[in-house]
Formats: sequence, structure tokens, C-alpha cells
Amino acid sequence: METAIRLGLTLGQIGAVMVAVLLTVALLTLLERKVLGWMQDRMGPMEVGPYGILQPVADGLKLFFKEDIIPAGANKLMFSMAPILSLVPALIGFAVIPFGPDWTVDVQGVDFKPFVITDINIGVLYILAFASIGAYGIILGGWSSNSKYSLLGGLRSAAQLISYELNVGLSIVGVLLLSSSLSLVTITNAQAGGFWNWYFFAWGSFPQAIAFMVFIISSVAETNRTPFDLPEAESELVAGFFTEYSGMRFAFFFLAEYGNMILVSCVATVLFFGGWHAPFEFLQGPESLHGLTGIAWFAIKVATFLFLFFWVRATLPRLRYDQLMRFGWKVLLPIALGNIVVTAIVEYIFPS
Amino acid sequence: MNLKEWIKTLTFYEILLGMKATLSHLIHYKPITLQYPHEKKQLPSNYRGMLALLRYDDGTEKCVGCDLCEAACPSRVIRVVSAEVPEEPAKRYSKEYYMDMTRCLFCGLCVDACPVDALGMTQEYEWAVYDKRQLHLNKQQLLAIGDRNFPVREKRLEFQHPNVAYFNVGFKDIPQKNVQ
Repeated sequence: METAIRLGLTLGQIGAVMVAVLLTVALLTLLERKVLGWMQDRMGPMEVGPYGILQPVADGLKLFFKEDIIPAGANKLMFSMAPILSLVPALIGFAVIPFGPDWTVDVQGVDFKPFVITDINIGVLYILAFASIGAYGIILGGWSSNSKYSLLGGLRSAAQLISYELNVGLSIVGVLLLSSSLSLVTITNAQAGGFWNWYFFAWGSFPQAIAFMVFIISSVAETNRTPFDLPEAESELVAGFFTEYSGMRFAFFFLAEYGNMILVSCVATVLFFGGWHAPFEFLQGPESLHGLTGIAWFAIKVATFLFLFFWVRATLPRLRYDQLMRFGWKVLLPIALGNIVVTAIVEYIFPS
Repeated sequence: MNLKEWIKTLTFYEILLGMKATLSHLIHYKPITLQYPHEKKQLPSNYRGMLALLRYDDGTEKCVGCDLCEAACPSRVIRVVSAEVPEEPAKRYSKEYYMDMTRCLFCGLCVDACPVDALGMTQEYEWAVYDKRQLHLNKQQLLAIGDRNFPVREKRLEFQHPNVAYFNVGFKDIPQKNVQ
């Protein structure tokens, strides 16, 4: 009985998070085109529904009914597996993200945390590990398509993801030193009290602002978005690793890219900007409403980061390949390492 | 690199400048888009659109079948089959007149070449068709285009003898030779 309740609760939670994430992805596809359009003095999609708000529905229907082509000479198993390999890690990371306060509700003798699916004590490592597996989807998709463009896109993304994943991992270490925990729930709880306690500012210790810059730049690179969209550079490689994909398989890659975008925004929010905590204590509302205001503040912060992604895309051109590598290894990596050293020293002298 | 440039690099000065530019476009949003099928652009009066054959006000065709448009056309769009008017050997007309609009580049040389102003350029440009053979127009179609685009027709001159092809061309814009 207890197992059944636990299973039901967890599955319900997973379903709710999945639906929320996929709806956000649908919204993002429209918002990205709209925001990009507005920034470039265009209108964006305008035809489907009033002001084009039904565009995601139309896109989804189109992708659903499109013919699913497997190119001649493609490795069929790998070709079908690659989109799944890339989508699953993008969605699975949300399992450890705390969307709201660290409450424990007792449902008929079962401890249930309503705002986080699982609070495992290696949450950050878990997300990093699955983000690396996501790279396999891209590389395998590029290799198995039997196309030069796909292969080149896959190779580029292999090099890019390896170099920038390192920076993501190292830029997080500063936060881990401050919070002395890998659990995202503990990290969020340590940032309570006001915006000066967020690890971006980290009052009384070494601010992680530099680490945040490294993290956000590297995550833009990891999600293959402009200005680091070399794996799918339209003007050079047609569409990069998913050139040969169509129909639902293409939609999976698409969902994975946007899912990853939301995931890194969530991780940045949790690690550097206090998760669900409001910038001031009084903005959080009464204790009983923390669940509601917590989710609202979390959504606001994530939306800000997503807007930043669009904004950067509207502004910056694509980097050249050697610039990308030089920037990753010779600029971001030393900065991240230096941040670890300084944070460790400050933390040793003034332990928090 | 001096200190100022270092500070600019460290604070992402140039990138922030670019992002400020894009944000200002977002805030002062003024699209330059023309919602084409719903809104249409005001065309200039000298717009060179679809070609048409014209008529005089009494409904007779202007074309005298002289073939000069065929000669002027750089893309060989036009094909004229000229013939005598039956019973009137001195007067000619175009028995058949074809235009292959798939090749036309809308240069307007045929209109300039026509001695009787029988050709006109309309403001029509929405001529996308599913079958490109529909762009191979005959005389009746070209006259119909002219009828629907030029409701005000030129008056047929009274002193024009019906048997004489009257070349109503003004040679005003041809530069004069210097007379010594």
C-alpha cells in the first residue's frame, strides 16, 4: 500500500513537471520567434490565430504528420536512438530541481516533498552526468545520418560540448564550496533571507558573480545556441547534426534543445540566484503561501534567463571555430580555476 | 592592451553595447513589416508589371502587326504573326500575338519600341500559377489584361485614314543634332 501511494505520488509529480516543461517549450518556440522578431523590427509569426499565438500548435501538428525519413545508408538503430538519447537527458535533469520550498507533507504515512521530485544528495553531479549523455545523442545523430553536414555538425558538437562541459563543472565548484553540499535543495536553503545571501552576491564570503558569468556563457555553448551554435550553423552546415532528421525525430531534437535551455536556466537560478527565494523576505509573503510565491519567484528568475538567451541570440553573431576553442580553454577555464582557488581561500579564512 | 581596453573586455562592454541596441529596438518596437496578403504596397505610377495589349476607344485593336516589339525584346518573349486586313491590302494587323511570360524580364523595351502605343505595362504582379503553360498568353488574354487595367482608352484620331497605319510617335525626346 505504501509503495503504491509512493509510486502514485511520484508518477503524478513527474507527469506534472513533464507537462509543465513541455508546455514551456511550446511557449518558448513562439516567444523566441516573437522576441527575435521584435528586436529585429519584424513582427514574428502573425498568421496562425490572433497575433500568431497558435503557431506552436500548428508547428506541432506539422511535425507530427510529416513523413519520417531514414536516409539511405544510415545506421537505422543509431539513427532512431539518437533523438531519444538527446531528449531523455534534457528532461531527466528536472528530477532534482527544487521548484518551491523544502516542505515535507505526510500523505497516509508516506513522506512526500511536493516541490521536488527527488532530493538526492548528488543533485549537481546527476545533472552534469546526464548533460554529458545528451552529447551522445547529438554525436550519434550526426554520425549515423550518413551525411557530411551531419557528421561535421556532430564532430563540432563533440569538441564543443567536451570543452564547455568542463567549464560548467568548474564554475559550479565555487558554489559547492560555499554550500558544502551537492544537493540542490540544500543549496537553495542556504541562500534564504534576501538577495545578498544568493551565491551570486554571497555577502560575507567570495561572490560567485564571475563563476556565474563563466557558467552562463558555458551553458549557452552547451545548449548549442547562438553565438555558440556551431553544431547547427545554418549558413555552413545546413542544419548541422539534425540535417537528415524529419518529423517526430526532428521534433525530439528540437524539444531537447529547448528542454536543455530551460534546464540550464533552472540550474543557474538554483545555484546562483537563490532558487525560489524572493530577493527580500517580505516579498515572499506569509509562511503558508511560500509554495505559491516560491514557484512564482522561481518562474520569474527562469524566465529572465530564458529572455537572456533570446536577447543574446538576437545580438551576437556566431563565433569562428578556433575562437570558440580558444575562448573555452584559454579564457573561461583559467577564470573558473582561479575562481575555485580564491573561493577556497576565502572560505578557509572566513568560514560561513 | 592598455588599462581602459582591459576594463572594457572584463565588463563585456562591447557585448553590452550591442545588447543595448537590440533591447532599444524591443522597447521602441516599430515593425517595418508589410503584412503582404492583407496589406499591399502603394506602387509607383511607373511600375513595370504585367504586359497588356491596348485598344482604341472604339474597341479596335491598336496593334498594327509591325513586329518591332518582337525585334526589341531581349528575351524573345514576343511572337507576332502579322497579316493583312482582309479586303484592305494596305492595312496590317497582328493575326496572332503570343507572349511567353515565363521569360519576360519586364524591361519595357517592347513598350518603348511600339510605334502606335499598342503595348502597355500594368500594375499587376500577382501572376503566380500552378502550371507554367498558363503564362504562355495569347492575343485575347493580353487584350483582356489591357481591358481590365486601362478602362480609359485613347481616342482614335479622326484624321487617321482607316487604311493607313498611323505612327503617332513623338520624336521629341530624341536629342537634336548640332546643325553647323
